[in-house]
Amino acid sequence: MLNHTLNPPTAPRRVVVLGGSGFVGSRLVARLQAVGVDTLALSSKDIDLAAPEAVSALARVVRNDDALVFASCLTPEKGGDPRTFMRNLSMAEHVGLFVESHGCAHVVYIGSDAIFKDDVTLVTEDSEQQPSALYGLAHVAREKMITYACGKAGTPLAILRPCAIYGDGDTHNSYGPNRFLTSARADGKITLFGGGEETRDHIFVNDLCAVIEASLSSRSIGTLNVATGRALSFAQVADSVAAAMGTPVQIVPTARKNPVTHRHFDTAAVIKAFPSLAFRSLDEGLRSYVTQPA
Amino acid sequence: MIGFAGLSHLGIVTSTAIASKGFDVIAYDGRPGVAEALASGQLPILEPGLPELLSSSQSRMTFTSDPAALAQADLIYLSLDVATDADNGSDLSALQQVIDDVVPHAKRGAVLVVLSQVPPGFTRRLATKFVALLDEKGIVLYGQVETLIFGAAVERATKPERYIVGSSQPAAELAPVFAKVLGAFGCPVLVMRYESAELAKISINVFLAASLSATNTMAELCEGVGADWSEIAPTLRLDRRIGPHAYLVPGLGIAGGNIERDLVTMKSLAAEFGAEDCVPRAFIDHSRSRRDWALRQLHRQVLSRHPGALIAVWGLAYKVNTKSVKNSPTLALLDGLPGVAVQLYDPSATLGPGYPTATQVASPLAACQGAHALVIMTAWDEFANIPLASVTAALAAPVVIDPAGSWRARAVTAASLQYSTLGRPPGAI
Repeated sequence: MLNHTLNPPTAPRRVVVLGGSGFVGSRLVARLQAVGVDTLALSSKDIDLAAPEAVSALARVVRNDDALVFASCLTPEKGGDPRTFMRNLSMAEHVGLFVESHGCAHVVYIGSDAIFKDDVTLVTEDSEQQPSALYGLAHVAREKMITYACGKAGTPLAILRPCAIYGDGDTHNSYGPNRFLTSARADGKITLFGGGEETRDHIFVNDLCAVIEASLSSRSIGTLNVATGRALSFAQVADSVAAAMGTPVQIVPTARKNPVTHRHFDTAAVIKAFPSLAFRSLDEGLRSYVTQPA
Repeated sequence: MIGFAGLSHLGIVTSTAIASKGFDVIAYDGRPGVAEALASGQLPILEPGLPELLSSSQSRMTFTSDPAALAQADLIYLSLDVATDADNGSDLSALQQVIDDVVPHAKRGAVLVVLSQVPPGFTRRLATKFVALLDEKGIVLYGQVETLIFGAAVERATKPERYIVGSSQPAAELAPVFAKVLGAFGCPVLVMRYESAELAKISINVFLAASLSATNTMAELCEGVGADWSEIAPTLRLDRRIGPHAYLVPGLGIAGGNIERDLVTMKSLAAEFGAEDCVPRAFIDHSRSRRDWALRQLHRQVLSRHPGALIAVWGLAYKVNTKSVKNSPTLALLDGLPGVAVQLYDPSATLGPGYPTATQVASPLAACQGAHALVIMTAWDEFANIPLASVTAALAAPVVIDPAGSWRARAVTAASLQYSTLGRPPGAI
């Protein structure tokens, strides 16, 4: 669960976002700047976090009263192999070394629900962690590495684990709203695995950024799964995408190759941490950015 | 003369029940003020029928803060309730102190009975600890399982279904004074080894937890599937393998502390002896998850749309006919509503400090005044008959979330209220 160390909530002096040009990072930067928070976005073009020089590079730009959002990660479409896994760990190693040696005011680590065992169907913060892929294993290790570093430095740490994320400009092409929208726009068709029976939770990127912003302002510490609490089947997701597009979309089931699995989130901890935050439904989220086919 | 050492809920109810059968009772508690208050008829606990039972038995009862007074007793019950910590683990320290204070005063030939909720092995360890004294004075040590229920303790104490007794010699006749006390209640007496009696207590609570957990899980599925648990429960009651008295009313997990304590003990024993502990873990985890049902409903239906909403809550005590708030689901709900304004009513329990935005008010309708939702957390009788029109008129928005099931049988939709309860889909009739 998440506890807050700042009451009333107060915006940090400055927020440094590692992964600042990524899907979540760029949205977060825009959101913080819109409310007047001084923000520094760093991408791999600015600092290669996987390189040992990253520690000194961070030391040159990150002040010890900065809040640091660690959103930088090589996601599965960039590689699910051991080399990508090691690069992800190297990033955490160097960010951790920076925090230990130089410190900052607060760290918010953006993790993933990929850490949880595949057959956990109702996920809580304490659910069993047994990722089936190297990406999830990297997040398990990175959580522990950054926890170690923040513990040594006495730096407050919040770990946020979002479920699947969707929104405008997502380049990850994960099976779900983003891929469905891309393919519907490209050829008017959405292809489902089986009949799209699996249920999953999807959070709108702007809502995730609202949670990150609130965690920064409250200087939260602890661990939080970030999800809406409303899991939909992929068939329902496809219907929602089609409805948002407003033009005919063919939804095509296929022969099922894998068993149906479901994943829901118990969002009691999110509600308790931020009772006034509301998460958009998938329909609401899609309508906010889907107009006509591109 | 029957003695009692430890006058918390268990000792107060049991001593009064035994006095009501005509026995003279000397009841001891060393905590300041406890004996004096009871001597003047002031009860620190709420139990239906207890004031009347105490009043009618008081002439046979002596309350004392002097452990030496127990030297007159032919039989001494060690009756202090075992406290639990925040994780529902047993804290035996206070009971150990009572034992150390009292046992040396037991007279020659006395009978000692451990009535407190002790883990397996406790009574035999006690016998070993005091073996020299017990042998020298010819004192016999028994264990006895208590099966009181908060809110129905007087009924359970005066009309027990059976007595479960632990003995170092189960085949031997019970000590005459003990047999006489138990015999006064006219129920079967089952005598077994110490460990069996201690584990029987846990077994009872584990089976109750199984019934509660199955009910709560099935009720949760009803909400998703579109079924109504209240239609299903009678089919189970008519199955003789389950029975008419099975725990089939859905609730917000397992509350109160006693069953939870025994699940924690069961988990510890499983770890200690290398047994599979997935069963108690599942019951505990499910209880924890189910406890937040009201919070989730409130967030989904009200707080996500009105961040500054005022919430009315009926019920603070963890169950009806008690003022105990230990492990109360209402406190868990309030813990999940930091900064949310709450107007709270309970006919018996009092809200402690630590909830700055919650106000305890004098009536159910006062709690509803201007509120954007009513949450009924404890099914006190008075809630069931409050006119729906009065509630609708007081509320600012017609949302009622009723995990207690207080209004389950009412025609709530006739009052145009958005009604949710356990075991059926939200809004279902």
